[in-house]
Amino acid sequence: MNSTTARRLRVVGALVLSAALVGSLAACSTPSNKPKAGGTYTLWDPYPDRDANSTWAKAVDACATQLKITIKRTASNTGDTVKDLTTAASNLPDVALVDNPKVSTLADAGLLTTTKQNGFDVSSISKNILSAGEIDGKFYGVPTGANTLGLYYNPTVLSAAGVDIASVKDWASLTDALKKVVAAGKKGITFSAVGTEEGSFQFLPWFWGAKADLTKLDSSEADSALSLWTGWLKDGFAPNSVIQNTQGTSWTEFKTGDFGFAENGSWFKSDADTAGFKSIQIPAENGGAAPAPTGGEFMTIPVQKDTSRYATSAKIVGCLSKGDTAATALGYVAPTKAGADAQLAADPTLKFWITAVGDAKPRTADNLGIKYGKISEQLYTAIQAALSGSASPADALKTAQAAVK
Amino acid sequence: MRARRSWWKTAVGVVLTGAMLFPIYWMINVSLTQPNELRKDPPNFFPVNPTFDGYSKVVGEQLPYLGTSLLVGLGTVALTLALSAPAAFALAKLRPRGGTALNFILLIAQMIPAIIMAMGFYLIFNSWGVLNTIPGLILADSTIAVPFGVLIFTAFMSGIPHELISAATIDGANVWRTFRSIVLPISRNSVVTVSLFAFLWAWSDFIFASTLNRGDDLQPITIGIYRYIGNNTQDWNAIMATAVVASIPAAVLLVIAQRYVAAGVTAGAVKD
Amino acid sequence: MTALQTTSGLPARGGTGGAASTGAVPPATARPDGAARRRRRWRTQLTAWAFIAPVVIYLVVFYAYPLYRNIDLSLRAYTLRSFIDGTAPFVGLQNYLDVIQSSTFTPALINTAVFTGVSILFQFTIGLALAVFFFRNFRLAATLRALFLVPWLLPLLVSASVWAWMLNSESGVVNAVIEGIGLHQINWLTSPQWALVSVVIANIWIGIPFNLVILYSGLQGIPSDLYEAASLDGANGWQTFWRVTFPLLRPVSAITILLGLVYTLKVFDIIWIMTQGGPVNASTTFAIWSYRLGFGGESPQLSPAAAVGNLLIVVAFIFGLIYIRVQQRVVRS
Repeated sequence: MNSTTARRLRVVGALVLSAALVGSLAACSTPSNKPKAGGTYTLWDPYPDRDANSTWAKAVDACATQLKITIKRTASNTGDTVKDLTTAASNLPDVALVDNPKVSTLADAGLLTTTKQNGFDVSSISKNILSAGEIDGKFYGVPTGANTLGLYYNPTVLSAAGVDIASVKDWASLTDALKKVVAAGKKGITFSAVGTEEGSFQFLPWFWGAKADLTKLDSSEADSALSLWTGWLKDGFAPNSVIQNTQGTSWTEFKTGDFGFAENGSWFKSDADTAGFKSIQIPAENGGAAPAPTGGEFMTIPVQKDTSRYATSAKIVGCLSKGDTAATALGYVAPTKAGADAQLAADPTLKFWITAVGDAKPRTADNLGIKYGKISEQLYTAIQAALSGSASPADALKTAQAAVK
Repeated sequence: MRARRSWWKTAVGVVLTGAMLFPIYWMINVSLTQPNELRKDPPNFFPVNPTFDGYSKVVGEQLPYLGTSLLVGLGTVALTLALSAPAAFALAKLRPRGGTALNFILLIAQMIPAIIMAMGFYLIFNSWGVLNTIPGLILADSTIAVPFGVLIFTAFMSGIPHELISAATIDGANVWRTFRSIVLPISRNSVVTVSLFAFLWAWSDFIFASTLNRGDDLQPITIGIYRYIGNNTQDWNAIMATAVVASIPAAVLLVIAQRYVAAGVTAGAVKD
Repeated sequence: MTALQTTSGLPARGGTGGAASTGAVPPATARPDGAARRRRRWRTQLTAWAFIAPVVIYLVVFYAYPLYRNIDLSLRAYTLRSFIDGTAPFVGLQNYLDVIQSSTFTPALINTAVFTGVSILFQFTIGLALAVFFFRNFRLAATLRALFLVPWLLPLLVSASVWAWMLNSESGVVNAVIEGIGLHQINWLTSPQWALVSVVIANIWIGIPFNLVILYSGLQGIPSDLYEAASLDGANGWQTFWRVTFPLLRPVSAITILLGLVYTLKVFDIIWIMTQGGPVNASTTFAIWSYRLGFGGESPQLSPAAAVGNLLIVVAFIFGLIYIRVQQRVVRS
């Protein structure tokens, strides 16, 4: 081994070490691990795609300025929320935005404070949106806004297939329309039946539209709802990929212009408007609009060792839920009537979705609370089993109900 | 005849590499596909009508994340080498008591699921105050590479002939000097191998970054990619573009380092 | 003997630190005095411990502590609430019993065995074949070999997503080709029959670079005079491989397979992103099951999750013991 190689090795080693040293010094000099001093409050949200220049971040900054505090916002993937909060149980943020079906899980674990503890006034929040955060009469969080599901359709595809949207009133007429669309050479309907909460979320309008009840997964009504979906797959009216589709993927499929219908959420409204898609409420089995579930995140105030922080945290939540700035930034319908009216005034085309959200039902309603989590997991497992052909809808639902007990 | 044989092998090599890298090509294809053709059935084999929106977003937003990943990667390499090389030398040459047990424990240590490690580290780092810092992340990422590093170094340092070491000792060198001046330079190839693994593992870590560095202003590229994953929508052009852009510097590094990557103590270093 | 031991990249005893003659640093001057030799050996031991002390401390802090916490989690009944108020009653082995008696246990066990076994078999074989192929120097060999490592650079989120895209039932390129030849589409990710196959394929692809690098390095450690001797004896390529190359690669192969086993047992991201372990446990392995119980499902059950995680560690432990036993037998022979 010659000396040049040795020297080269030494130089490389020195470079690496000094780079690491400089880097760590730089990192140390920026106060990244700020102690929670008087004026800084931490806010965790599941919107990593909304960076510092987004309307949401600006809404948060506006509240910070208004309250004369600093709000440090960190965003992370929505699927990691429970894990992150559990890991940080000794060091919880001041405000945490949580997907609404998870609120009861976290509340039951004692991670969240009630409105009585943190002093927030929920009187102006729309009741049907608020109840997702209610357990035994206590409120654990406030919605940033709400979204819900509807049935989008592609007018071009439908007219080419000779389908009149006004004729789609119940399941039979919808299936009929799908048949016509497929006969005309296009694809029928796309939705999301993935094995996560999204799958249950998308199934609920059909489940509730058959008048099935979440406490009885093995009822004949539930069977007819699941059989609707399995029938569509078998007849080729819905693609096999729905079994793995997230709602985002399903929307991308719809945007290819090959599909007649798509079940998806209000958050795609502006995208739909640009593409020329329209929407109707999801039909129930025998006519009328099916109850759709409410979605959206809740602003919660986790427990703190220093309880004097709750007052300001409640003010942050109040600022973000007032009016319509935050909700519109997120693409949701505002949680208060005043906010929703403001949204309608600013954009009259929102009428459909504001009405839909007003008619929607929370997933943890009927006092299901923390039981919803377990039921949902069994429900989407049953959906996966039936759609993939592992079991018949009736058997899959029977297994699911037995597992919930 | 020789030249023809060589070209035939090159051709086969190119085909094999092409097959292996086809998913990478597909990644590039997706990054350039128009948003409403992403789920076309059947898909476009070539990006007809390409869009560069993803790349312009990435170049505009992801460079700080790439820089942080590079910093964390290099730091992990330094720490891994500093910890594992001396330990492996001791295990291979100095034969301490309990060496066998230590080797076994190092093997098992790699089995602990990352999420368990992350949750444990959170508590430790919180009490040390290195949560949400780069040094903390470097420390966490090194736990992926150190046991492997010790394993590799031990294996290859044991192959160093003891005549070399005894020669140094006869000349009056103590153990540390022997290690620094004789053993390390000879182990150049395994140093590069371990460095490569450590860098790549730190580069692609997600679980430690997301659990332990959530609140930091500097975050690695695996977190940066989540800028394009909202809670209801994903921007696939940008996601794939980020992956492509992130792979380029590392690919260059690989091609350069490949010459040195070897597990053998020989390859020109020690000849009878 | 000296030639083999100095030039084989890995000695037969692998990473166990067992007995062999290339050993401890010899004393500087040969003294007949036994006490002086003992003192010297004691000093060597101290130096050795000084060298390994940082790693031992490191192990205790960063591995022993999380492992202790995991065992603690599995022996108690933890709920989310326990993380706030610290109450978690001791339940002994109840979590393990629940896990073993669960209906997911057998499918997960079979899937883990199949996933790990098939992955390692193909990763190793393909990696070895490629290493041998690239070993003969031809034009561009080094560059192509480096390019083979590119899949390693990608964040697992991206690799798994690309495979999920390629294997999509309707819009995936694999089905486009299959339907192009005239066959019926295969539901790679959504059918119970193909889900496990899909994740195995993706995992093999991701694991090839690791095997290629280590085995290639092992090949470099085999002295070239052995090949010359073999060809002088009239052996063709195939015979050279089986009689010369493969036996000498045994220590490297052993460590590659063992490490491959340890890493494959832990594999999570690929399966989760592609199929989430579905449909209905068709591609659920222990690692997936553990995550699903903990944070992947809708109601966190952290103690059973920890129990499943510990079962994985036990499996790896058993294989580690087998490896050491085999190594010691090789050394003794």
